[in-house]
Amino acid sequence: MNLGFEVDPCVKCEEQLQPYLDRELTDAERAEAEEHLDQCSYCRKRYRFEEELRRFVRQAAVEEMPPALKQKLADLRTPLF
Amino acid sequence: MSETTPEAEPRKLAEEARDRVRFEEEALELADQVYRVARRLVSTREEAEDLMQETYSRAFRAWRSFQPGTNLRAWLLRILTNLNIDRGRRQQRSPDMQPLEEGDYFLYNKLEEAGREPNLEQERVDERLSQDDVVSALSAVPHDFRDVIVLVDIGDFSYADAAQILEIPIGTVMSRLHRGRRILKSQLAEQAVSA
Repeated sequence: MNLGFEVDPCVKCEEQLQPYLDRELTDAERAEAEEHLDQCSYCRKRYRFEEELRRFVRQAAVEEMPPALKQKLADLRTPLF
Repeated sequence: MSETTPEAEPRKLAEEARDRVRFEEEALELADQVYRVARRLVSTREEAEDLMQETYSRAFRAWRSFQPGTNLRAWLLRILTNLNIDRGRRQQRSPDMQPLEEGDYFLYNKLEEAGREPNLEQERVDERLSQDDVVSALSAVPHDFRDVIVLVDIGDFSYADAAQILEIPIGTVMSRLHRGRRILKSQLAEQAVSA
């Protein structure tokens, strides 16, 4: 529906940030987002930041399993005999 | 009428024992990956350890119900998330305490407003946020949203796998992930700016 005003392209680009990085946009939507990103350093900086943030969250949230727990889990195995 | 030879029964038992040992070994090989997810689904290391032991204990008992060739890591996580829900370990937030969900540019804009980085794109995120910031912000995300973020963004599960593990439609996975990431960024912004 045409409401008589244009949607701010940066607002639209912000809405597309997550589906863009998740590769969920259609080819046409993706091309539209990339065309805007080519011209808009405001959005480009924020997209790069989001990519970096996702990597960082993934790394920061990792806590390795305590070795003692590994042994406890192995001890739960059914005895063979 | 089928006839069972005297040798058939021991052979069957030996085959079953072999299959079970193989299953247990494969499950244990995945324990590190399962723990990474478990650790972020609950608040403390102790809870994660208990949950892992209950999960593996149940998995070892129920090994026959696993279909070989399907995703064992997802199967284990399904047991784990069900146990987590059953035990009521999750701290439910009342609806009026739901954190505010901002737009996707919110965190960047807040960091920029704080005036610490005139040229944020040149900097690394880890110079602006600490590991503790992430852990604390993640724990502040309501569990329905956090479960999906942990499975997809940390556990590296597909939307389809996350939907199967949590027994929710894939569209719900997508919308919770989308909203959950926004809530996470709002939480990170709160911490980063108040630090």
